[in-house]
Amino acid sequence: MNAVSVKNLSVVLGENTILNHVSFDVTKGSLNAVIGPNGSGKTTLFKALLGLIPFDGTIKIFDKSTKDAMNRVGYVPQHFDFDRTLPITVREFLSFAKPDQSKQDKEVCHETKVDELNDKLIGQLSGGQLQRVLIANALMRNPKLLLLDEPAAGIDMEGEKVFYDLIGHVNKKHGVTIMMISHEINMVYHFADQIICLNRDLVCNGPPQEALTREVMDKLYGERMDVCDHRHV
Amino acid sequence: MMEILALPFMQRAVIAGVLLALILAVLGIFVVLKRMAFLSDGIAHASLAGVAAGILAGLNPLLVALGLSAILGALIAWLERRTKLAGDALIGLVFTGGMALGVVLLAFKRGYQPELVSFLFGNILAVQWNELIIMAILGLAILIFLMICYKRLILMLVNQDMAHVAGIPIAVYQTLLYVTVAIATVLGIKLLGIVLVSALMIMPVTMAKLVAKSFRQLIVLSVVAAELMVVLGLLTSVTFDLPAGAVIVLCGLAMFFALLAIKTLIKQSTHLSSRA
Repeated sequence: MNAVSVKNLSVVLGENTILNHVSFDVTKGSLNAVIGPNGSGKTTLFKALLGLIPFDGTIKIFDKSTKDAMNRVGYVPQHFDFDRTLPITVREFLSFAKPDQSKQDKEVCHETKVDELNDKLIGQLSGGQLQRVLIANALMRNPKLLLLDEPAAGIDMEGEKVFYDLIGHVNKKHGVTIMMISHEINMVYHFADQIICLNRDLVCNGPPQEALTREVMDKLYGERMDVCDHRHV
Repeated sequence: MMEILALPFMQRAVIAGVLLALILAVLGIFVVLKRMAFLSDGIAHASLAGVAAGILAGLNPLLVALGLSAILGALIAWLERRTKLAGDALIGLVFTGGMALGVVLLAFKRGYQPELVSFLFGNILAVQWNELIIMAILGLAILIFLMICYKRLILMLVNQDMAHVAGIPIAVYQTLLYVTVAIATVLGIKLLGIVLVSALMIMPVTMAKLVAKSFRQLIVLSVVAAELMVVLGLLTSVTFDLPAGAVIVLCGLAMFFALLAIKTLIKQSTHLSSRA
């Protein structure tokens, strides 16, 4: 069974076609990166998957409609914009999302290293720490599909490594299917099982080593971009 | 002092003030979290249309204003979802429209309107038992709603998309919150008047934010600040025969600056001792 099956998805907002007849499948238990230039429809795709915007075409998540599948989906938004002067501790924030925390939820806090942040205020967290809290918050709902919208944006290099290790752990150990919007092509190249390249249309779909050809990179970002093989320490 | 408190009108005023301070202070946290400090102000001004309609029709202006404000609260929530326009702009629209309608309606009623003056600037000392009962019933309903739903409301205000994924029906909760704020605002008009009522939503939470280290503390300290504002303001206004609503707001302002000064002094002394 596919985790996500998208057929002929089109999204039109006003007079602009944001997504044009996009079709792809996401294998259950895989780690997928959604890439494309700014304005290519990546976040719109997520909003459609979450049932937040109207769309044409078919979206099935674990063979169910977006509405019926929502209890199996976790989501980490790109923008987490709120009044940072409001004193809300990490513990309190997590309790808002899930009031009755189980033993498993405490394990999630431990795995995401959020338990050491419990008494810190949300507004005082670094970008990496906040991202871990948001992932813990999403995992507490025991999702089978996790959607991450540019999760590594605004995180320093050390935080980035911690973050990618965490995502890998969630995917491999817990078997959670992951879809992640990213601009870091090199990281995605080594990290993802499958990539979905968008630029209004579906430009490519498949394992990054096969799908990310020179021609695809030209279509996505113009002729000055290429994938360089280097590893983060 | 005890003699003053023995007076029935003063007892009603204190009960009403304590009750309203509790409701408005707690709701103020949600208003600030939503960054819509303007909401209560707008609803208060727009409720003038309800007050005017009540006076003209010979009905209880408070009840008519309550009904109208609840409709306006739901209307703002609906417009916000349908038009994607900024909340502040929509509130401004309703604010000026309601106020203008109120002024036009009042033009049909000739002569001095003591009830109108009391709604504009508040007159807590004139609260009657029947109004107190309305305040108690609606106040209790608001508190029960907030106790049951506050976690879902906060998640919705922090991030709507995350709340949607968590299965929270955004349209329902947003409408309920706006209607609740609208009703509480109109109840507060009796205490502070249309012109000043939003102060009791904004000042306590602003003071509490200066010292609170968690959301739980924020709630407790907001309520404490609001109650202090009201009790100090009421006693000062009766002692010096000054308008209660305005004195309550000035007490809040004085408390804010006193707290800010204390916090700055403590910070400086801690900084100095750590350097020594």
